[in-house]
Amino acid sequence: MSLCINRLTEERKQWRRDHPFGFYAKPHRTPQGVLELKRWECGVPGKAQTLWEGGLFKLDVIFPDEYPTKPPKCKFVPPLFHPNVYPSGTVCLSILNEEEAWKPAITIKQILLGIQDLLNDPNPESPAQADAYNLFKKDRPAYERRVKQVVRENPSL
Amino acid sequence: MESDEDFMSVASSADDFLDTQASDDESLGEEFGDEFDGGFSKDKDIIATSRKPYEVDFKVLSPDDIDREQNQQINEVSSVLDLPPESSAILLRYGRWNREKLIESYMDHPEKTLEEAGLGTNFQGIPKTQVVPGFVCDICCEDGNDIETYAMRCGHRFCVDCYRHYLGQKIREEGEAARIECPGNGCNMIVDSKSLGLLVTNNLRERYHILLTRTYVDDKENLKWCPAPNCEYAVDCPIKQRDLHRIVPTVQCFCKHHFCFGCTLNDHQPAPCRLVRMWLKKCEDDSETANWISANTKECPRCHSTIEKNGGCNHMTCRKCKHEFCWMCMGLWSEHGTSWYNCSRYEEKSGSEARSAQAKSRASLERYLHYYNRYANHEQSAKLDKDLYLKTEKKMTSLQSQSGLSWIEVQFLDTASQALQQCRQTLKWTYAFAYYLARNNLTEIFEDNQKDLELAVENLSEMFEKPVPELANLKVDILDKTAYCNKRRVILLSDTAENLRNGEWSFNVDW
Repeated sequence: MSLCINRLTEERKQWRRDHPFGFYAKPHRTPQGVLELKRWECGVPGKAQTLWEGGLFKLDVIFPDEYPTKPPKCKFVPPLFHPNVYPSGTVCLSILNEEEAWKPAITIKQILLGIQDLLNDPNPESPAQADAYNLFKKDRPAYERRVKQVVRENPSL
Repeated sequence: MESDEDFMSVASSADDFLDTQASDDESLGEEFGDEFDGGFSKDKDIIATSRKPYEVDFKVLSPDDIDREQNQQINEVSSVLDLPPESSAILLRYGRWNREKLIESYMDHPEKTLEEAGLGTNFQGIPKTQVVPGFVCDICCEDGNDIETYAMRCGHRFCVDCYRHYLGQKIREEGEAARIECPGNGCNMIVDSKSLGLLVTNNLRERYHILLTRTYVDDKENLKWCPAPNCEYAVDCPIKQRDLHRIVPTVQCFCKHHFCFGCTLNDHQPAPCRLVRMWLKKCEDDSETANWISANTKECPRCHSTIEKNGGCNHMTCRKCKHEFCWMCMGLWSEHGTSWYNCSRYEEKSGSEARSAQAKSRASLERYLHYYNRYANHEQSAKLDKDLYLKTEKKMTSLQSQSGLSWIEVQFLDTASQALQQCRQTLKWTYAFAYYLARNNLTEIFEDNQKDLELAVENLSEMFEKPVPELANLKVDILDKTAYCNKRRVILLSDTAENLRNGEWSFNVDW
């Protein structure tokens, strides 16, 4: 437990010192003004020169008590139209899977950059929602139109 | 590929014999290797010629034996490739213990093999825990100049506490051992046993060891765990998956459990594994429901609706299509004239085809039920064997007190009860086997053998049920009958196994 808090405190320090352009990540503050270190609000921008350019997508990142032994859960709020995002908004990505490529040394920065890569480079091997997956597989023009619409609905500041 | 595997099987069976020796003199065994022992195994074969046709070579291994076997192979590869033993172990696990193939691929592409196995190519320096000035751990973010740290050869350095915690999680929670990777992001280097030894506590190391042994047995085709509950032995048997259509490899563990090495189900001689699987599937499937329907119902000759006749007259009118036909001959009712309750037009052409299809499926169901009932009957009796065995023990005690026989003298009951159990187990599977046999002379011989064994078993069984006071007088008789049962069983199994090995059986299914 203390490992979890220490690590998150340090992650926060490092993020404030330096983070990639266009992203944000900060611990959630309750209405009473208390800082919740185990729940972060993050934003991932679409990469330049991709369909997703110009969008900024909001994520809740929830850290378990066993963090960093176990990975955090990353959830788009509201749920995002994307083949590898579950209808609940949860992201399906190998580095976020304990059984797959999660390693305790992976940082929040690496996670968010990984999610940014995933946006324009979906993994058709692990579909998480029927909607986006079917369009992606069967009707690419329609898929791209939907993505552009999603970007318009979530403009970067 | 074929020849490769064959070579391996020779090498590994030679190993088995090497084993007992190697424990006394390990370095010598390594030097001389397979050739030297090849001679020995041949001698042993000559000595052990009394083996029956349905028996196979096998050896039971204790956890210590498995450990020893593993270490011996690791040391061997380690000396051939000139790598540290802990690295050779990782290589071997990566190559699923196929020594020859592994050495070959290492000789051809050493760096690629090491990379893929998760070893890396840097073998300089001995990894040890150390304090590094100015170090910050990437996991807990602690810094300070007195933190004990560790890095494998990949150079990803973490504090010892985090490393330990990570390994504990992998071993205890995830049950992982053979493929624990470095905690660094994207690094595929496998944690070796030496690093692990430096970092974790004794009981975790023990657990790690158990898990490794498990993967060793799982990886090797010639090893299987005994499936009996709580049994910790493994069986080493040279029978390959592809041999299973010619042989039924029944083995017996030290814990007394008889099982088939091919499929790890309970002993199912004389039926081969594939047929056993088909039979069990057939029995549990409701595919027989379909058979029932075809045997007990008929189809309307016009619209093919399924009709079950629930009584009354043979003049059927299909409820769906209003077709009128005769239930007996399936022919048009209009051809019957006024012969109402008695179908006199048996040879009518319009009905003969429908009848023959009907008869076929009915016959097939009856055939299945014939074999199934006998199979199930012996299975049921086998289930009662436990009670029987307990009853036997009681009988033996009361026999001792009633007739003044000694403990040794009443052992014949125990022997008889065991023979009964074993014979019933065999009989049960003869019925599944016979179900798939095509009709020919061999099959008739088989059925004669089956009948003889069954008769012998029932005779013994009957005698066995006699009241206790009579048993003492029947001792000689029971002994005779027990011996006879066992003999009939050996004859049946030998005959079946020999024909199976020589491919003499013809079956009514492809398998």
